[in-house]
Amino acid sequence: MVFVGPSGCGKTTALRMVAGLEDITEGTIRVGDKIVNGIDPGERDMAMVFQNYALYPHMSIFENIAFPLRARHTSKSEVRSRVERTAALLGLTEYLKRKPRTLSGGQRQRVAMGRAIVREPQAFLMDEPLSNLDAKLRVQMRSEISNLQRDLGVTTIYVTHDQVEAMTMGTRIAIMRKGVLQQQGPPQQVYAEPANIFVAAFIGSPGMNFLQATLGRDESGFELRLPGQTLRLSDAVVSARPALAAYVDRELAMGIRPESLALGPTGGPSLRATVSRIEVLGAESLIYVTLAGQAVVSDEMIEAAVDVDATAASTLKQEAEQCQVTLIVRSEPDTDVRVGDQVNITPIQHRLHLFDLESGAAVTS
Amino acid sequence: MSVQRSSSRLNRSRRIQVRHVPWLIAIPGIVLMLGLRFLPAVFSAGYAFTDWNGLSPRASSVGLDNFAQIFSPSGALGSLGNTLVLAAILLVVSNAAGLGLALLLRKGLKARNLLRAMFFIPFALSHLATGYIWQFIFSYKGPLNQILDSLGLSSWKHTWTGDPKWALYTIALVICWQYTGLTMIIYLAGLEGIPEELDDAVAVDGASKWMKFRRVTLPLLAPAVTVACTLTLIWGLGAFDQVIALTGGGPAGATETLATLVWKNTFLYGKYGYGSALALVLALIVTCLAVLQMTLLRSREEQL
Amino acid sequence: MNTRYTWKTFARELTALILAVVFCLPLYILVSVALKPNNELFTKPWEFTSSPAFGNFGDAWNERSDPSIGHSLLSSAIITLGSVAFLVLIGSLCAYVIARRPGKLSGLLYFLFVLGIIVPFQLCIVPLYAAFRWMGVTGSYLSMIILWVGVFMPLTVFLYTGFTRQLPRDYEESARVDGAGIFRTFFRVVFPLLRPVTGTVAIMTGLFIWNDFFASLIFVGGTNNETIPVAIYSFVGEYLTKWNLVFAVVIIALLPLVIFFVLAQKQMIRGFAGGIRG
Repeated sequence: MVFVGPSGCGKTTALRMVAGLEDITEGTIRVGDKIVNGIDPGERDMAMVFQNYALYPHMSIFENIAFPLRARHTSKSEVRSRVERTAALLGLTEYLKRKPRTLSGGQRQRVAMGRAIVREPQAFLMDEPLSNLDAKLRVQMRSEISNLQRDLGVTTIYVTHDQVEAMTMGTRIAIMRKGVLQQQGPPQQVYAEPANIFVAAFIGSPGMNFLQATLGRDESGFELRLPGQTLRLSDAVVSARPALAAYVDRELAMGIRPESLALGPTGGPSLRATVSRIEVLGAESLIYVTLAGQAVVSDEMIEAAVDVDATAASTLKQEAEQCQVTLIVRSEPDTDVRVGDQVNITPIQHRLHLFDLESGAAVTS
Repeated sequence: MSVQRSSSRLNRSRRIQVRHVPWLIAIPGIVLMLGLRFLPAVFSAGYAFTDWNGLSPRASSVGLDNFAQIFSPSGALGSLGNTLVLAAILLVVSNAAGLGLALLLRKGLKARNLLRAMFFIPFALSHLATGYIWQFIFSYKGPLNQILDSLGLSSWKHTWTGDPKWALYTIALVICWQYTGLTMIIYLAGLEGIPEELDDAVAVDGASKWMKFRRVTLPLLAPAVTVACTLTLIWGLGAFDQVIALTGGGPAGATETLATLVWKNTFLYGKYGYGSALALVLALIVTCLAVLQMTLLRSREEQL
Repeated sequence: MNTRYTWKTFARELTALILAVVFCLPLYILVSVALKPNNELFTKPWEFTSSPAFGNFGDAWNERSDPSIGHSLLSSAIITLGSVAFLVLIGSLCAYVIARRPGKLSGLLYFLFVLGIIVPFQLCIVPLYAAFRWMGVTGSYLSMIILWVGVFMPLTVFLYTGFTRQLPRDYEESARVDGAGIFRTFFRVVFPLLRPVTGTVAIMTGLFIWNDFFASLIFVGGTNNETIPVAIYSFVGEYLTKWNLVFAVVIIALLPLVIFFVLAQKQMIRGFAGGIRG
């Protein structure tokens, strides 16, 4: 289980509540079928890995890993054998006599894991354990932790603000915003069927494209009206969303992922746009195209944008003022478009997302 | 042409400056330290082997006579004992109490700042004033004896500061009262330096309160312990003001410390040579004990 | 940790409060006695007088002349503020060099400064007194300021060095690269960053100097520049039984400090935290 959300969304608080480090104002927390409200953190049989590892700086690695066992009055010989087994599992055997400050970030991270594993608890709680590592190490530790978790088969609650981490590590992920759970489910489901505009914008990199459009209806079906052009919706899209009828002549938000947009005439309804920038990434290229239209600027959107980087939010606002929208298209690397070209972009209709502008909820049934 | 040259010279000198902070600006501090702390100490050590009376232009060497007198039964052995007792009591009591208070006031209390201030005020009081307040409290008709009266313990009444059996302990009590506020502040500062995540880790690891204190809090406070113990040891060994204010060294020398003897001999009796010898003994004791204690505590810091 | 205010916290708070009240009882006595009329002094020392004699403060203020209490307060203020100002100025510069030029020389100097904290000041008193008397400057403000600057230079440099070592060098280096000279760099960039430890140094040394009795008695005792503790001492000599007046003077001498402390308490803890980690 992975909790993911922008900083300050309450995911760490939720984790600390589970751990018993914060008091719960209402509701109950169960482990198995035991209610653990009001039970001391140490009695809950959960181990926690902290963001800054929280290693005891004055103790050797051995003592650090042994500490939770000693707190439980485990016999000396058992402490020794369990610590050594854990250290071997994590490749820390040769560092057992060292102090934490002499270890690298990745090694400290492993010690923190070791201190959790050695207890053989009912659950692991991990609070952004990889956020203090450099990018390369993070990828490596990501798979190490995943493997470890699979081998040990222990329930793990993992908190992160990094949605890539969430997608790759979680069997189920929960997206939070401002203390409220937005959606939970397997990563692929959350990615493909976001329940609301925040989840849609937050998950995925580069993020989903959004633009505001008016839903129109004529005798041949539904269409999305943009300044100067329209996009006809396929019958499949409409029939999957009975609630759509209520939005006729109202504005809603259309969302489409970069890989669900195709360049050039592929048949099917398309939009005209101008290429404004091309990023060649090797395996693929990202084509930035601009068209007249209204960007979606809501609190959720800004929050999701800020999480990517601080300038993204101001870019968003600037575009909204200029009545321009930039969409990102993920394309083959050998594309021959140039900046300034007029292109047609064709959305894959069954991967189109429609959201209510007010509530942000996906328009579905 | 000339402009260019001067600017390139400027650049070069600036580059050198950037690399090094000049020693020049440290000189005033170094000179004052050497001139006012170490030079007089050397001179003083020289006087210690003379019979100089402070007035006569001549002083003759008396070898080790002054020291022989200090360590003779009629000399300063009693004061030496008093000094060590005071320092030991201050060291143990004010550190234990200060640490206890710091743990008590650490967090979560509403009146935390007020409470800290209340415990700290005695330290801000001049030693002399402290001495007088307590002299009043300990006086025969004073508040302490009145409490004993009202508790029906009239037989326990004493002229506390005038009783050779009690006088030294009244002084010990007063200096402990005065310095506990400072040790508390030092330990509070040390506690603030312990990352909160460690508290959380200890809680999740399920350690008992005692284990947390013994295995985590205390070891991490080691630097604060070193500072607080060193300061209280130095101040305890140098106790002077409170002694003068409370007992003046009496009754019959029962509360005389090395520091009061230094003062009396040099400035009241005009025995500069003997006074300097006493000061030298005091300095050696303080230095040795402080360095010894610091070495022990520092090695603990490393080890833990 | 965001824990609730439970009955356990309340019990802790109550314990602390009771301890604090007991701890401050002598201060209650100080105030209560200072306000007692002469005839009540020893009758009921625990009771707060029903007819507070605020006149005690006036009497105490006027009791002494040559120097008056007011003049003694002024002397204390001049000596304390002057000493603290020079200590901060000279000490911070000295520590800056020691912290930024690591090597054998600065290691030796640092050791000497630490030794200077430990070696008791009593050892220096006699030669200094002799030297000051020989120069004919005993009792002058300047001589007292020089004395105190010398006495507390080790502690000052020790505290500043510990703190300066933790400061990142980036700011000052960028200032130097931008072309600022050493003094501009120090006073515009480094010194403001040292503020917490400057607070600690000022409070610690200021307190000791303001309250000092031993050295003041020797160096300014009997002169016109007697500091306030020396004045209190002579007070007790002259009016041993008039505790109410003695305590009134004590309070007069204490007031400037109490006001200062209430303002600066937090600063002090922070500064110490820096010093300890250094």
